[in-house]
Amino acid sequence: MSSNSIKPPRRTMLQRFGFNFYDVFVLLFCASFALLCVYPMWYVAVASVTPYGEFIKGGLMLWPRGGVDLQYYQAIFGTKSFINSMWISVSKTVIATVLSVIVTSTMAYGVSKSHIKGMKFINALVVFNLFFSGGLIPQYMLYKDLNLLRNYWVMVIPGALNITYFIIMRNYYSFSVPHALEEAAQIDGCTEVGVFFRIVTPISKSMLAAISLFIAVINWNDYYNYMMFISNKTELQPYAWVLHRMLTDQTMMNQVRNGAVSMGIATPPPPMALRMACIICAMLPIMCVYPFLQKHFTKGITLGAVKE
Amino acid sequence: MEKTVAAPRLPGKNRSPVSRFLAYVKKYWFLYLLILPGFACMAVFNYAPMYGIQLAFKEYSPRAGIWGSEWIGLENFYRMFRDPNFIRAFRNTILINLYSLAFGFTFNVFLALMINELKLRKVKPIIQTCVYLPYFLSWVIFAGLVQVFLEYPSTADVGGVVNQVIQGLGGAPIDFLKEPKLFRTILVVTNIIKSAGYSTIVYLASLSGIDPALYESAQIDGANRGQMLWNITIPRILPSIMITFILQVASLFSSNFDQVYNLYNNYVISTGDVLSTYIYRISLGGGTDFELSTAMNLILNVMGLVVVLVTNKYVEKLDVQGIF
Repeated sequence: MSSNSIKPPRRTMLQRFGFNFYDVFVLLFCASFALLCVYPMWYVAVASVTPYGEFIKGGLMLWPRGGVDLQYYQAIFGTKSFINSMWISVSKTVIATVLSVIVTSTMAYGVSKSHIKGMKFINALVVFNLFFSGGLIPQYMLYKDLNLLRNYWVMVIPGALNITYFIIMRNYYSFSVPHALEEAAQIDGCTEVGVFFRIVTPISKSMLAAISLFIAVINWNDYYNYMMFISNKTELQPYAWVLHRMLTDQTMMNQVRNGAVSMGIATPPPPMALRMACIICAMLPIMCVYPFLQKHFTKGITLGAVKE
Repeated sequence: MEKTVAAPRLPGKNRSPVSRFLAYVKKYWFLYLLILPGFACMAVFNYAPMYGIQLAFKEYSPRAGIWGSEWIGLENFYRMFRDPNFIRAFRNTILINLYSLAFGFTFNVFLALMINELKLRKVKPIIQTCVYLPYFLSWVIFAGLVQVFLEYPSTADVGGVVNQVIQGLGGAPIDFLKEPKLFRTILVVTNIIKSAGYSTIVYLASLSGIDPALYESAQIDGANRGQMLWNITIPRILPSIMITFILQVASLFSSNFDQVYNLYNNYVISTGDVLSTYIYRISLGGGTDFELSTAMNLILNVMGLVVVLVTNKYVEKLDVQGIF
């Protein structure tokens, strides 16, 4: 063997930084997909504050040209049905989330004690619902009998037990809460009630907070119950439904445009710009909680996946 | 005297099942109380509607109600299979799901591997933050974004960015959302953008558990990055891939109502109409064919349930917790 073969092969400039073409490809691929995910939102955010004269020219809207102009938001917030729908959305999100977290977490805790008689059966009953339901019409008929049709509470109560998060919480309680702690408390004379309120609930506080945010996002985005079971009582429409109508319903759009003119905005705003402003209003609350969501969901989604 | 010295009542012995049951409930009363609200919700909102399934075998008359309507046997099901729109929606649903499986599923795995291979420790969390984000937007918002980007130029608007680029390159603008040939592609692609990032989480979680020593020893043995990917990384996530694959196959008959409802329109109904939107349209969304809608829902549920039960057996064989 000659001494030459021991010498490391010559490295290029890039390799000396720990980089090669494989890494460059990986980075480019990830970065371009990330851009594809985020750019549409950025574009809409920028376009919605761009003045009309610049907006009509088009372009990629990387930053707001010609200053920030909030006239489209003015037009939206000047419309009474928008303000009303915001209130409906906020109130229903708060009430439904609190109710849903309480009902789902207590049930998940009970069912996670699978050595207690009946819990396994109840668990099977809950999970079965993921795959089998009466369907839209039987639901509609039942709500009619319960007087829930065209009622605010149809957007709140029926979703109280969230089956997906039931499964995640059940797995959390059975795998992530240390049983030794519960047993120790019971030996020290703590009752079941005490174990739940004094030991388990404080331990699972961060899990509950995370799941509350998830359920809140679901409720904020929900329009299905309104569409199916209330449908034409406009004073109850949630914001997500108003957005849907802004995107598809020409009469709604014309109303807002005419309203904007009567408010003193010179030209009726272009439909696209109004749509963008509406989209931003619907996205804003989600963006506000997203940092907190992201902190937790990597844990949350894997909770149920792997056996201990 | 003997009478008064009756045997002490031993717990659990010589007692009727009812009183033993009551004693058991009394001992664990708090746990039973905890599940009560959820149980009541489930009984009322999930199980009670199931009595309405009988509508699938009846001819619904609004005056007589569900119970009073007349039994007509399997007539609704015969009608269903003669309905060309149902067949069309069925075909579209299966096709869209197969395309999603072929493109979406492979893309998700590929994206997870690529994110895992990212070497720059500071860039990785930024990329992850970006790709997870669209999952949390509702389909209403996302459909709005799609519309904004693909908009056809009109007198009031310049059109979406994509059409601006096409025109800038000298092409003729395309009305994407009204083109039946493109609609399924749009569904699959938008679904990838919205949920690919989120579905990498499961893979990334199982990848994070790999011992770095494995890679180091492979490196000493002279393995290149590709060999390490193929021999260390991929075997590690194979179980997760299998489960995700099986679960996606299991949802072959289900369709994403939210997505399709927010994106489709009358122009693309021939390729875009899926089962859930069709079931909605013939019943609450304009039509009055309540019994046909119930019959379709019933048959879909039964088929879906069979597929899920079969696949769950396979999932349990891979050393991972099944759904039940």
